[in-house]
Amino acid sequence: MVELRNVSVTYSNGVRALNNVSLTINDGDFVFLVGKSGAGKSTLIKLLIKEISPTSGSVAVNGYELNKIRANEIPKLRRTIGYVFQDFKLIDNMSVYDNVAFVLRSIDAPVKYIRRRVAYVLGLVGLKDKAKVHPNELSGGEQQRVAIARALVNDPKLIIADEPTGNLDPKTTIEIIELLQGINKCDTTVLMVTHEHDLVRRFGGRIISIYEGQVNFDDVI
Amino acid sequence: MRISSIAYLTGRGFQNIWNNRIMSVASFCILTVSMLLVGFSVLFTENINTFIGNVEEKNEVVIFLNDNLTDDDISIMGDRLRQMDNIKSVEFYSKDQAFEDMKAGMDNAEELFDYIGDESPLPDAYRLKVADISRMSSTLMSINSLQGIYSVKAPTDFVSVLTGLRSLVYILSGIIIIALIVVSIVIISNAARASVDMRKREIAIMKYVGATNTFIEVPFFIEGMIMGIFAGTAAILLTWAGYVKIIDVLMSDSTIWLAMGIKGFIPFSKVALRMAIVYITAGAVVGSFGTLLSTKKYVKV
Repeated sequence: MVELRNVSVTYSNGVRALNNVSLTINDGDFVFLVGKSGAGKSTLIKLLIKEISPTSGSVAVNGYELNKIRANEIPKLRRTIGYVFQDFKLIDNMSVYDNVAFVLRSIDAPVKYIRRRVAYVLGLVGLKDKAKVHPNELSGGEQQRVAIARALVNDPKLIIADEPTGNLDPKTTIEIIELLQGINKCDTTVLMVTHEHDLVRRFGGRIISIYEGQVNFDDVI
Repeated sequence: MRISSIAYLTGRGFQNIWNNRIMSVASFCILTVSMLLVGFSVLFTENINTFIGNVEEKNEVVIFLNDNLTDDDISIMGDRLRQMDNIKSVEFYSKDQAFEDMKAGMDNAEELFDYIGDESPLPDAYRLKVADISRMSSTLMSINSLQGIYSVKAPTDFVSVLTGLRSLVYILSGIIIIALIVVSIVIISNAARASVDMRKREIAIMKYVGATNTFIEVPFFIEGMIMGIFAGTAAILLTWAGYVKIIDVLMSDSTIWLAMGIKGFIPFSKVALRMAIVYITAGAVVGSFGTLLSTKKYVKV
């Protein structure tokens, strides 16, 4: 669950990125977060993964009060969140298998569990046969699938997909959103950031729109 | 932490070296050259100190005794001299022995010695060597306080020159070695920073997926340590080869050194183990912590 209460963020250069934002995303929701460039979407995401702190207000994510969280708890918070980036952010010198597995290695998971779990999530995203391949040998869509597998492997409560289709062709875009919807059906909350309104209209669901640092629309269509 | 995780992180450390081989080679070379410079400076200083020590050993204080002393008086004085602080050796030099040596050292002087007769005109004496020549003046004061001394001959000018020279060598070599260490640390930390900088994206991704700082830093730490150990090993081998070659060239005409009172240079075998331990430990510590400190700013995501 994600909860923001009267959150404002003002950067050191004086720019007010968020202004008194309050919203709640319940477990199991699929939410599109829309808004123009500079509206405050990225700031909101940075707040959720505790990359930044709010100037005022409170943020709670998956049971962690981010205003009170200690530095050594931030990795634990992030393990409850699967993050999918627009530019995939895969590690080029690691195989697909290792790109996914190192999330579990970082939490000291047993080797047998890592093998089983990575094989399972790579199967879910349709890349079981590409485990030994390196990211630069994959298409954009396949790379984003690896990123989704990496986000999924730790069985997160929330997946944040930050413009995950921004670099993909229309056919692959639909495949990726369908994949995220499939993940959402297994009770994982999905927050997808996008500025592609056509896409939002096509798939529908709950939409939160941010304009000039404030939520100007929050409803289901 | 599980053994499998430790093995994985160690493996990543080795893999990082290969994946970033250009920066690895650069770091290796910088570390090796830095250690070589410091190592050769230390060897140079050690040799200079040994040379000064060799020359110091030639110091000799001669105490001429009054003619009216009995054998017992002379013996008591010898015991007192031996009990004194800073006296390394005491040797009695009888007036008869001195006269014999004088005769042996002066050819074509039979007429003079016939005139003098058989009785030695020279005084009995003690020949002393002091342990620490920098304390020569206080030792001479103690000696002069003894009864029955006719005169004392000591190389005080020579001592002051040597003491000054040793202080100068200590100060200069200290400054050079500290400067080299500081420069080395700056260069090494820059190389480590450049190496880590190339992988800041990788570090950021790890942070986003919830990797702990330890998980991110351990491979860097191991990578730096391995590089340091390799560099330390290379540095000791190069120092060995270089030092032996230099000594060979310098000792090709050893008479010059012997004439200067220098018995020889420090053999490498005498310092090899100590230098190897220092090189490899310094390499491992500087490499690992240098790299680790450079990762610190990137793990704050």
